Amino acid sequence: MNYFRYEDIQVGMEQEYCVRITDDMMERFKDITGDCNPLHTDEKFAEAHGYPKRIAYGMLTASFLSTLAGVYLPGERSLIQSVEIKFVRPVYIGDVLRVHGVVHEINDTVRQIVLKVDITNQKKEKVVRGGGKSRCVG
Amino acid sequence: MTRKEIFERLEEVFHDIFDDSGIVLKDTTTAEDIEDWDSLEHINLVVAVEKCFGIKFTMGEVTGMKNVGEMADIIEERVK
Repeated sequence: MNYFRYEDIQVGMEQEYCVRITDDMMERFKDITGDCNPLHTDEKFAEAHGYPKRIAYGMLTASFLSTLAGVYLPGERSLIQSVEIKFVRPVYIGDVLRVHGVVHEINDTVRQIVLKVDITNQKKEKVVRGGGKSRCVG
Repeated sequence: MTRKEIFERLEEVFHDIFDDSGIVLKDTTTAEDIEDWDSLEHINLVVAVEKCFGIKFTMGEVTGMKNVGEMADIIEERVK
């Protein structure tokens, strides 16, 4: 956990971490959300529709932005206000994702941090492009 | 910058933030008059207005503005 205060944050600051997508994550995501779409749950269905295996939930991948802001940048004082995500490539179970954010903008009046985020897989292919706005609480 | 020019530029910002080109601002316009003007969009609005006019509000001003007229008053004072 990082403990950056708003005053510590500067444009250009970067943080990153890595996470492996596991079958257990997929199961738990399905249980929590109720999303039983077969592209995520049925290997044969995914294969029949042109994918090598079932695809990880996009919103599971997107959820790692929560960790990026809430644990890494700024960390403890983060309150996420909005997130924008583009899923540019499928993610598969077993992929190791590098979640990387850079401070793109800071807005002093409202103590807001604007992050640009990219997530890449173990082949260094970008799988998510996005960003988010967080308030750094006092 | 005249008050009319401030309102014209403010309207452009409001149109962009609320994605509604039909918004017409008056001195008395408040969050009650614009459906999506909630606390989160107020933050986005403040940031966009600051960028548009090259000014900074204080936190007291941000929380104390009662309507668009008061916002325009502060902008008018800052861009003199």
